[in-house]
Amino acid sequence: MSHSIQAPAAPPLKMGLAIPNSKLCVWLFLGTEIMFFTAFIGTYIVLRLGSPGWPDNPNVTHIRVLAGGTNTFVLILSSYFVVVAHEAMGNKNYQRANKFLIYTFALACVFLGIKAFEYKGKIDHDILPGHIAENSEQAMNKVVNEFQVVINEGLDDFVPGDDNAIVKSSKLQGRIAELKAEGGEELAEIETFAKLETEFKKLRTSVLDETITMVQVEHELFRLRNTGTLTTENDRRIYGVIGEKAKLLEYGQLPGDAAEESTSQSTEEMDEILVVTRDGVIMIATDDVHDITYEFRDRVEHVHDPHPIKYGNLFASVYFLMTGFHALHVIIGMILFAIVLKLGTNLDGWHDFVENSGLYWHFVDLVWIFLFPLIYII
Amino acid sequence: MMEHEHDTHHVNYLYIFIMLCVFTLMSVVFDGLGIKGKTMFGKEGGGTALLAVLVLAVAVAKALCVMLFFMHLKFERNWKYVILAPTTILAIGLPLALLPDIGVHYYTLDVPQVHDSVDHAASDHPDAEDDSKEGH
Repeated sequence: MSHSIQAPAAPPLKMGLAIPNSKLCVWLFLGTEIMFFTAFIGTYIVLRLGSPGWPDNPNVTHIRVLAGGTNTFVLILSSYFVVVAHEAMGNKNYQRANKFLIYTFALACVFLGIKAFEYKGKIDHDILPGHIAENSEQAMNKVVNEFQVVINEGLDDFVPGDDNAIVKSSKLQGRIAELKAEGGEELAEIETFAKLETEFKKLRTSVLDETITMVQVEHELFRLRNTGTLTTENDRRIYGVIGEKAKLLEYGQLPGDAAEESTSQSTEEMDEILVVTRDGVIMIATDDVHDITYEFRDRVEHVHDPHPIKYGNLFASVYFLMTGFHALHVIIGMILFAIVLKLGTNLDGWHDFVENSGLYWHFVDLVWIFLFPLIYII
Repeated sequence: MMEHEHDTHHVNYLYIFIMLCVFTLMSVVFDGLGIKGKTMFGKEGGGTALLAVLVLAVAVAKALCVMLFFMHLKFERNWKYVILAPTTILAIGLPLALLPDIGVHYYTLDVPQVHDSVDHAASDHPDAEDDSKEGH
């Protein structure tokens, strides 16, 4: 500054850091984001350390390393594309920048697609916070509750009105008597439902009285799902529990002697379907089967098998919290890129914007880099 | 002046990207080793702990790659420490505060998850069936 008299043209003093304000803001924001995600990830680690028996079996949690690994790759690749786009912005090669931002946007869509697929698997298996039974008692109660919902829906179908389930249940018998007198078309359907309701009440009583084990409940559900009428090619109709031998054995549906018999000669009859009737087991070759109609399946389908997951609710909570907030960040990143993509290749003056949304995107990648081993591998 | 200084640091981003892919593959390979849940180093969860250390080390390496090169932190001035050091310290604070009571408690927690009563109850009382039949 000693030459200042000779050189009045010296640049004016500037306060602050030698980076654009917007970039400083993004970094400060990323600072808060670090705290935000570390709180989730750290809490997850702490909860997991404190919960011996945390579910880590992929068959139980439906966590697929391949899906997580693919998504890791997708995010890393998109991060690379953002860097290339930023570099192109620096060289004023806007066409190239636009191209790589499109790639990034497409990869973000792929990421969310895989994520959605994973979420769907969780929802199908009812692995949702607050929905999971954590021991056999809760698992059996859950079966009863879900079954009750199915029964209530059926009652609503056959007995319209605002009465509660108990009243409707008693009205159901009256309705059957009416239909029998009138000979309505509904009769067969309503009688089947009444049969299912009786089965449900039996099961509920056993569960409430604790006279049934969880495995038995699972077997009962299997029996109800697979009870039906098998019609052979020559029009013979057989009513009973229908299924392949291995399945019937697994779910305890074969009577004692039949089960023993079958284990000795279990190699040959792969193409046979067994029907367990009241009077015994009937084997039908698969080629002979004309048609199978399951009696209760379309209703009982909605009842999940009792599979307790210890600490499953805690697991589901942290899983959805972390991956959900991460996915939200992905969506916000996509919006940022969409703003640039809308301009096409006319990107003069957007260098900082691309750089800053790139920084944000790398952070999203960074979070996933930690979520992948923590959720999918360990 | 700054702009030029910035541009002189030329990074081969493709190389960094390939490194990141290799690291990701390493994580998957570690997972495929099947050491999870095995007894190692004389401890029951030893295998899981080893796996955790391995994959988290890989994750830290990947994070460093992304932060140093993709986010250009390697070439930024010292303001990066001013922003990142306090946030990191504060971020670690919450997990550390939770750790003593929730993560490493010396007592047995009395939560539904630790007692699985019904399976035993059903098999321990064969008479229960008769009782229930009388009741209905």
